Amino acid sequence: MNRVIVITSGKGGVGKTTVTANLGTALASLGRKVALVDADFGLRNLDILLGLEQRIVYTALDVLAGECSLDKALVRDKRVPNLVLLPAAQNRTKEAITPEQMKELVEQLSKQYDYILIDCPAGIEMGFRNAIAPAQEAIIVTTPEMSAVRDADRVVGLMESEQIKTIHLIINRLRPDMIKLNQMISIEDILDLLVIPLLGIVPDDQKIIVSTNRGEPIVLEEQTSLPATAFKNIAARLEGKNLPFLDLMASQDTIINRLKRFLNRF
Amino acid sequence: MTDESSDVEFEAISSAQLDQVKLKQEGNKFIVILPTRVKEHPNHWEELWQELKYHLKHSERTWSTQQVVYLQAEDHLLDTRQLQNLAEVLQEVDLKLISVKTSRRQTAVAAATAGYSVEQINWATSFKEKEEEANIAEPLYLKTTIRSGVEVRHNGTVIILGDVNPGGSIVARGDIIIWGNLRGIAHAGSQGHRESRIFALKMEPTQIRIADIVARVAPPDPEDIQPEIAYLTKEGIAIARALNFEKSHRFAESWGSWDDTPTDIPKTKVETPAKFSILNRVLKSPSNNKDI
Repeated sequence: MNRVIVITSGKGGVGKTTVTANLGTALASLGRKVALVDADFGLRNLDILLGLEQRIVYTALDVLAGECSLDKALVRDKRVPNLVLLPAAQNRTKEAITPEQMKELVEQLSKQYDYILIDCPAGIEMGFRNAIAPAQEAIIVTTPEMSAVRDADRVVGLMESEQIKTIHLIINRLRPDMIKLNQMISIEDILDLLVIPLLGIVPDDQKIIVSTNRGEPIVLEEQTSLPATAFKNIAARLEGKNLPFLDLMASQDTIINRLKRFLNRF
Repeated sequence: MTDESSDVEFEAISSAQLDQVKLKQEGNKFIVILPTRVKEHPNHWEELWQELKYHLKHSERTWSTQQVVYLQAEDHLLDTRQLQNLAEVLQEVDLKLISVKTSRRQTAVAAATAGYSVEQINWATSFKEKEEEANIAEPLYLKTTIRSGVEVRHNGTVIILGDVNPGGSIVARGDIIIWGNLRGIAHAGSQGHRESRIFALKMEPTQIRIADIVARVAPPDPEDIQPEIAYLTKEGIAIARALNFEKSHRFAESWGSWDDTPTDIPKTKVETPAKFSILNRVLKSPSNNKDI
């Protein structure tokens, strides 16, 4: 059975596109056939993160206009077989497409792909409504910041009155050092407010910025990193595996801290 | 910037503003009542639509499988497509639309075309029914988290089984009972009923309002979370432990506020004074809301 998942957040800049790119790549690496749909018409980014920008010829709008077949518009990722991108049009706005047309496109894709991940634009206006229209499931991305959590809450509310039944949460850009110092909202507090099941926690890492600029999802990098492991675990959890969450606070467990605790025992 | 805060215009709300979609079981009839709007605005249908879906989804399910629905469309202009959408959303929760009651000719025609039985009422009778609406309505019971952006308005008491998150708000003509954490805004006694109270298992609201008084509340001591009640005293809004509230407080009609001085009960054993239960957590509750 194929799954249509929208990745959304309400607030901008929390990492929806990064999550979409990495999660899609990780799922494809697990052998699944994955289609990524960029619903951010006019401000598309997903192609850049995937390093596929230069290979776009047709966009979703061309398909809808009947100028090319859907298959022709899909950009295949050469590094990961099974992964394709349906690009958004950059020269148009969110109003260029309707929820019904989005449904139509996804309907066609779902015949061939196991997973369809839709990268939702920020906000709760037309672009958001387009992106959620075809989805059965949603992944909410938030960061441990008040404003992001508040917006996530609003979006969860909007989802609940739509046809979307399954909603999961990813907490992105977590900084264990700041949580330790009580400068960031804790995971417990976020879950207490949002009351939706947690799918994964991704630590903040400068490597993400590097990988974004290079156009290579971090999960593809040879040298594995904490965020890459987090994304792979999320993919595995989507596949139904019951993996424990990464102990991100462990990195706070330095030799000096351990020594201090040891000395305190006496 | 000056220290002086601006005046807050804050008035009791009319019952028409409190009107939201209502679901009502009357004998073996299930009635869906659309609110009459004071003013129609462009987004009107979208708003109504969201409200209906919300109430159908989160209200206590009192209806039986495939129960028939009587829609009271009041003065709403509905076209065939909108009626069809309504029927579909009702079908999703196992309800079957069969009859439409309306005061608008256009809606009546659309309903008849779509094959529903139509009852057209004239303005006079619909106005008479509205008069009855002026009375306090039955309590509204919702089992859901009230999330940011949701406003629940009701012409009576509201009971929520779940949290009220920041950005969410409840406006009730009667009391507000929250079996969960109150983090958003709660406004009890919205039409000026000063006896109304707000109850929450955990009280950390953005703001509380009772009748025409507004207050901010300091966060509770995390070590000592207790169910609490917010109520009006002569000095403004106060918060007390919910347990034994009814025994230690009484509403003084003459003051138009709650009296928290202990009533004279013959004492047979040494008691902690009833005053102990008043928590000094209200930050600001001026009687004229000038500086909140």
